[in-house]
Amino acid sequence: MTAISTAADTGERWNAAARLASVLIASLVVFGLLLVASGANPLSGYSAMWSSITRDSTAFGDVLIRTVPYLLGALAVSVPARAGLFNIGGEGQLLLGAIGAMAMANVLDQGLPRALTLVFMMSAGGALGASWAMIAAALRALAGVNEAISTLLLNYLATLLLGWLVFGRWKDPKSTGFPRTRPLADVESLPALWGRVHIGVLVVVPLAVMIAKALRSTSWGFRLTVLGRNPEAARRSGFHTTGLALSALATGGALAGLGGAIQLAGVESSLRPGIMSGYGFTAVLAAWMVRQSPLKAIASSLLLAAIAIGGNGLKIREGLSAASVNILMAIILLAVLGWGSRPTQSSKGATA
Amino acid sequence: MIEAIAIGAIRGGTSVVLAGVGETIAERSGLIYLGCEGSMLVGALTAYAVGIETGNPWLGALAAVCTGAALAMVYGLLVIVRRANQIATGLAITFLGLGATSLFGQSYVSQGVRPFVPWAMPGLSDIPFVGNVLFNHDPLTYLSFVVVPAAWWFLFRSGPGLRMRAVGERPDIVGTMGVAAPSSRWMALALAGGLAGLGGAQLATAFARTWSENMVAGRGFIAVALVIFAAWNPLNIAIGAYLFAGAVAFELQLQARGSDISIFLLDAIPYLTVIAVLTALSRRRRHAAPESLATVFQQDAATFASRQPRSRRATRSAALRPTPTTLNHERTIP
Repeated sequence: MTAISTAADTGERWNAAARLASVLIASLVVFGLLLVASGANPLSGYSAMWSSITRDSTAFGDVLIRTVPYLLGALAVSVPARAGLFNIGGEGQLLLGAIGAMAMANVLDQGLPRALTLVFMMSAGGALGASWAMIAAALRALAGVNEAISTLLLNYLATLLLGWLVFGRWKDPKSTGFPRTRPLADVESLPALWGRVHIGVLVVVPLAVMIAKALRSTSWGFRLTVLGRNPEAARRSGFHTTGLALSALATGGALAGLGGAIQLAGVESSLRPGIMSGYGFTAVLAAWMVRQSPLKAIASSLLLAAIAIGGNGLKIREGLSAASVNILMAIILLAVLGWGSRPTQSSKGATA
Repeated sequence: MIEAIAIGAIRGGTSVVLAGVGETIAERSGLIYLGCEGSMLVGALTAYAVGIETGNPWLGALAAVCTGAALAMVYGLLVIVRRANQIATGLAITFLGLGATSLFGQSYVSQGVRPFVPWAMPGLSDIPFVGNVLFNHDPLTYLSFVVVPAAWWFLFRSGPGLRMRAVGERPDIVGTMGVAAPSSRWMALALAGGLAGLGGAQLATAFARTWSENMVAGRGFIAVALVIFAAWNPLNIAIGAYLFAGAVAFELQLQARGSDISIFLLDAIPYLTVIAVLTALSRRRRHAAPESLATVFQQDAATFASRQPRSRRATRSAALRPTPTTLNHERTIP
């Protein structure tokens, strides 16, 4: 019996891999056709994308550092999803994380050693991201507001909050033209590994593994799973369902907040309008592409980061808008959602 | 000032009214269409581009209805045929609309279009206050005055509307009655996408009269949020949308009067209004929700969490499941 199931599993795994490969290729073809429709040459488009991510170690480093906010944003979707909650507020939670880190840096005023400063900044980012998500959680718990909609609306408020700070009290008097906050000092920035690649890259993968482990083998993770799959059972087992839902959204918000803080301290160095714009939504795609598995999100975040950085090549070499690659990301997600797995039993039954 | 706010509420609210009415129809059939935002974007660009190429805003609006609906059909293919998650698919559709309009819209950014011009209704527009607020608008706004009661009539007084609502409540039971849920849902989606596209057209060719990347700026999502406020009734959608646009107009008036408050805080007023309204009403509206909608979140979350292990288990059981021949064989053994 073991032999049979192992063989079946291996076959299944091959099938899944083949399916994934064909889904990806089909997505590339569809995007290529759209490029043709817009009057661009898809082959030179793809070669521009490819060369902009493989050109040199800097280019590849850019992909790695972009993976960090995507992965943390994806984890921010995965944890609440385990409890059956939709967190589409990664965009706002990332911003709040960056704002929190900046606020903490301003408060500390370079008075502490680097390691301590950074720990405080990251914690502040996580805390603020968590509180932003808690607004949605509280609205759901107290007033029954759907969290998918409230987190979505909170994104717009976060953008406005950022604008208020950057154009207002945090505006660097030295910034000419485009307003931005003061740049972070050395003690407030994440140490670099090579080139622009910062130390945050080393943190996120173990973090994703930890989240996966926490969801799989702690009692908290188990309770979240029960709540997500059968809320009635969770209630009847005496689980504190409101508290669980709050903890799931808060954890998600904290992860995204950490992502924003890392992006500020590792890459951006100062806040400006439009910072990390679209990262949160991309992270949602990354999470859903792998059915909210925290481990597989590492791969999907890397893929989307590569596409996003490739988009810069599309912009510079082909003169297409950088947001065009959003099409490719969306098509891949749609293809995975529709054709990424074997039809489930229920849909098979319906077609039979 | 009050008159200016009221005019702004109607003119700015029309796009949200149209999209919201479409979203109401979709949700009544049991589908949450988060791609509404994407359909609006695609509609806005189509109306603008076709308007520029042909010089006729009406052709633009018609084309916008088609492209908005076409995007909704992609959603339908995934959600109805492939049974994909509604929320994820809807968001991906919006992302697709965002990317596509940014790719195809680049060349239209600084071009001017012949817009829809306000058309004062003879006689009626001379009434003080009311005339200016209600009867001095672009044709698409007048159209929205008709669309709202028409959608109400369609949903609550017509046969197809009744079937659509029944599908939204209990698709399984409707199925046993011989009504095919998919055809009703396809129709609802076509209406939802088409109306969102028309809303985008009003936004680009009548209200803003310009095209810029991501110009819809969350109005589609606002429309989705308003459906809850409206208790899934098209008539209430109009109230909600005008409330939202009224908040925008109020905020613009404050800015124009040189208020000291930061524009970013003022810009937050419309969003805060919507969140406040939802907070006050969500619980009370719950009973009004189409029944199958309530399961969208729950069911999808459950299938999501368990899809992977389940499919593996399915293979395993398929491998162990006796084939028909072994079945016969087994039967003969005892």
